[in-house]
Amino acid sequence: MKYTMTIGIECHVQLNTKTKLFSAVDNNAVDKEPNSCVSPVDYALPGTLPVLNKAAVEKAILAGTAMNCQINLTSRFDRKHYYYPDLPKGYQISQMYQPIIGSGLIKLPDDSEVRIEHAHLEEDAGKLTHFGNYSLVDLNRAGTPLIEIVSMPDIHSPAQARLYCEELHRLMAYAGITNGDLYQGNMRFDVNISIAPEGSDKLGTRAEIKNLNSFRSIERAAEHEYQRQLALIEKGESIKQETRGWNDTTAKTTAQRSKEEAQDYRYMPDPDVPPIVLTKDFVENIAKNLPLTPTYYRNEFKKLNLDRSETEAILNYPILAKKLVDVTQNDSKLAPRIAHWFSGLLLAEENLNKDFELATASELLELSQMVEKNKLSSTAGKEVFLSLYNPKNTSKSPLALAKEMNLLQENDTDALSAIIDEVIALPECASAVTDIKNGETKAISFLIGQVMRKSAGKANPATVNQLLKQKLP
Amino acid sequence: MKVANKTTKAVDLVQAALSKIEEYKYYNIFISINADSALQQAAKIDQRIANGEKVGKLAGVPYALKDNFLSREGKTTAASRMLKDFAAPITATAVKKLEEEGAIMIGRTNLDAFAHGSSTENSYFGPTLNSQDQTRVAGGSSGGSAVAVALGIVPFALGSDTGGSIRQPASYNGVVGIKPTFGTVSRYGVVAMASSTDTIGCFANTATDTDLVMSILSGQDPKDPTSLSNFWQNKPKPDQSLRIGLISDFMAEGVDPEVKDCINHCVSKWQKNGHTVENISMPILKYGLAIYYIVQTAEVASNLSRYDGVRYGHRAQDITNLNELYGKSRDEGFMTENNRRIMIGNFVLSSGFFDAYYLKAQKARTLLINAYNDVFKKFDVLLCPVAPSPAFKIGENVNDPLAMYLEDAMSVPPSMAGLPAISIPAGTTKAGLTVGAQLIGARQSDRTLLNLASELAKEPN
Amino acid sequence: MSITKAEIIHLGKLSNISLNDQQLTNLNQDLENIISYISQLDELNTEGVEPTYQCFDMANVWREDEITEFEANREDLLALSADTANHQIKVPKVL
Repeated sequence: MKYTMTIGIECHVQLNTKTKLFSAVDNNAVDKEPNSCVSPVDYALPGTLPVLNKAAVEKAILAGTAMNCQINLTSRFDRKHYYYPDLPKGYQISQMYQPIIGSGLIKLPDDSEVRIEHAHLEEDAGKLTHFGNYSLVDLNRAGTPLIEIVSMPDIHSPAQARLYCEELHRLMAYAGITNGDLYQGNMRFDVNISIAPEGSDKLGTRAEIKNLNSFRSIERAAEHEYQRQLALIEKGESIKQETRGWNDTTAKTTAQRSKEEAQDYRYMPDPDVPPIVLTKDFVENIAKNLPLTPTYYRNEFKKLNLDRSETEAILNYPILAKKLVDVTQNDSKLAPRIAHWFSGLLLAEENLNKDFELATASELLELSQMVEKNKLSSTAGKEVFLSLYNPKNTSKSPLALAKEMNLLQENDTDALSAIIDEVIALPECASAVTDIKNGETKAISFLIGQVMRKSAGKANPATVNQLLKQKLP
Repeated sequence: MKVANKTTKAVDLVQAALSKIEEYKYYNIFISINADSALQQAAKIDQRIANGEKVGKLAGVPYALKDNFLSREGKTTAASRMLKDFAAPITATAVKKLEEEGAIMIGRTNLDAFAHGSSTENSYFGPTLNSQDQTRVAGGSSGGSAVAVALGIVPFALGSDTGGSIRQPASYNGVVGIKPTFGTVSRYGVVAMASSTDTIGCFANTATDTDLVMSILSGQDPKDPTSLSNFWQNKPKPDQSLRIGLISDFMAEGVDPEVKDCINHCVSKWQKNGHTVENISMPILKYGLAIYYIVQTAEVASNLSRYDGVRYGHRAQDITNLNELYGKSRDEGFMTENNRRIMIGNFVLSSGFFDAYYLKAQKARTLLINAYNDVFKKFDVLLCPVAPSPAFKIGENVNDPLAMYLEDAMSVPPSMAGLPAISIPAGTTKAGLTVGAQLIGARQSDRTLLNLASELAKEPN
Repeated sequence: MSITKAEIIHLGKLSNISLNDQQLTNLNQDLENIISYISQLDELNTEGVEPTYQCFDMANVWREDEITEFEANREDLLALSADTANHQIKVPKVL
């Protein structure tokens, strides 16, 4: 029997606000000392009270708009209770009953669609580090604003799961509401998977794989979990509803908590935080500032007929996408070459650390033009392109760089014919010369090669070919 | 109240208070005393007066602070073992405001641990004795503050009132106690009990002193999102004839006849002054206590989750794992009554019971609020006792928590609706126990209540 | 309303308090009485009534996204903990 898998995904996005969700303390703890971004509120001192950060509400509205979600005009905060050393108050302030972001829809690059069930604001927990027989608590991250995005179970393959997460990441990055650094945990994914006989109208028992933080691990974990459940079912065993963890090195999911042990969070409306009550105007005024979305860029790039993987690769870097739009709108004929440079060279592992802002649109156009006009060989073009991203070269134009690296192609016929005469006179070329005179034209490529070598690659092969034909009729 | 000036020295006011503290040690009123720093602050104020500098409205006035207010001055124990050694690094907004007006905090007063109780018997530091009868309870939870004012140690004291914790001890000790409109005074820096009904108020000997202190405490605080913008400067209703509704449901069976006599005595006084008094029945009040003991315990269970022995407070010794750290620290740090309320709260919030108890209570709360709104169309002020009987014997209710809770039946309904309510001396029983009358008003009518109260004092008995 | 031993033990877990048998027995009795009392709300018809979670009509009480100073710093706060190491709070190993 054939089985289909059904996947729903919950994604936590850390908002890049200046301060935390409920306390006016620094929200950016990257490279900061442990517990140096902690206020009495974050430390949950007795008598301290949460004061809502307006910017978090505004960013939630932007995120919701980016996902084509409806924004709920009235929303509230609720307390989710559980005990853990990284949760100072003994409860997390979240939105259980009336979330700020309602249902919506995300269109994926492969044109499939995933519905959003809802998304809500909540505070992040602190960080635990484990040692021999003890653990240490750092509360720098406690209180960082998150939005949790809950999808409908509309995903049916590991590849689509990855595509969805990548698209979420792009949407949030383009909306400008998160730093989007997966390595720093700015976005974390919980993946629910169940399998059921093909065509069956009810879903199987689901397992949840928690805390995935790379697109690759999402795809691999989903695939592994599918196989695991399939194997069980084929053995006639049943699937337990449980939470599982993914281990990237063993490439396996392992059971963590079963439904029976599931906690009772005792959700309760938070009496300390007054509700959020928005007007349509307030929402629209924020929504209209939503930056351009990946969908807009995709349409722009259609003109350049790039293949999808190339487009998506570039879309992962908003800076490059914006640059590419600039050059396209300037000269769509020169743009494809620049797109290839981006995807082929700049996005190669060894160049990812470069500052993508360095090369300006006009420099890129000028460089593409030089290759177009044979001033540079395509190989030389690539060298100059990369050197544009060397901080030392910011003041130099592509032409200046090409000169400095002396990569300009030699098109001056006098200079070239002098070189050609030398080459023809060489003893080792004599046989080739006679061959050509006897009409054996393919020997000409040997001579071109010699000329290129003598000119240190700067000769324009086409010109050399012409001149040779004139000299050896 | 006496404020320091050229002739009255702040140091003398503080000295006098300190010696009274000594004199009444036996009552177990104070958990900690602030003698040295109080005298230093007093000396500074005297110096400023001598230099002709400006001083605050309460310059040199010593006051007592219920020990659930955080202050960088001394320790904040909440009368619990959990916070026995807790030296707060922050100061409550209310305390700051009093400091700015020159008031001097002379000591921290006793309460039921975490303000859970109606007698101050649930204190880790033992009960406070009633100011009129040492065999009886001070009332609670703000028992220490009430007795400190009743015995004339300080002219005023701060308390907190979640379901009667200021009004009931005020009644048991014959002083004025106010639970203002919810949000009048910032809750920042006060150990939270039940967030949706916690209010900050005070005890004093007269309505006028109470009005002065409250005018200083009131106002919006950016650190408390539920605090109201200051309405205290708004003029109260002029002393014209007010329509007073006497809540008949609380003048019925089961209420001590002597308590009823005292209330009726007030009624005749106010009538003499040209106010009208009419009986009004509010059947919904019957459910006030049930509503309160669901919502309050739920919020208590939630608010006390933070006391886990990790970041501050009591941490149990020789623990081997995290669950022991939590479980033992909390068991050792809490009193039985704390455990009881946390357990009830977690019961009404737990899956399967949430709708039947917590949600049901919050809906009933709406009905209660609607009932008040209707009644206030007809009346300016509502009148009833604070408690069904005068102060009870120490130990009388300790093994019967429900009986103890029933003491709150008359004081919790206004709390659930966020209404202002005050307790004013209404007379004494033959046994010499004081009885308080409770005045309840619509939101932000606090000053009207105090005005009406002040008339009783003016009237010769 | 009767509460089973198992339920009381469960509530003890939810409350995160280690309770001995004596405590559990006492609490069991107390809770049965109190819960029976509060159950009288069943008499009330609350159909179609909206719950009240906060007895005021404030909304959108929020602050601008600006960092402000607090009266307590990291050292003040960590000094309150029974056990710390390199500027962090120390607890038995979390498994």
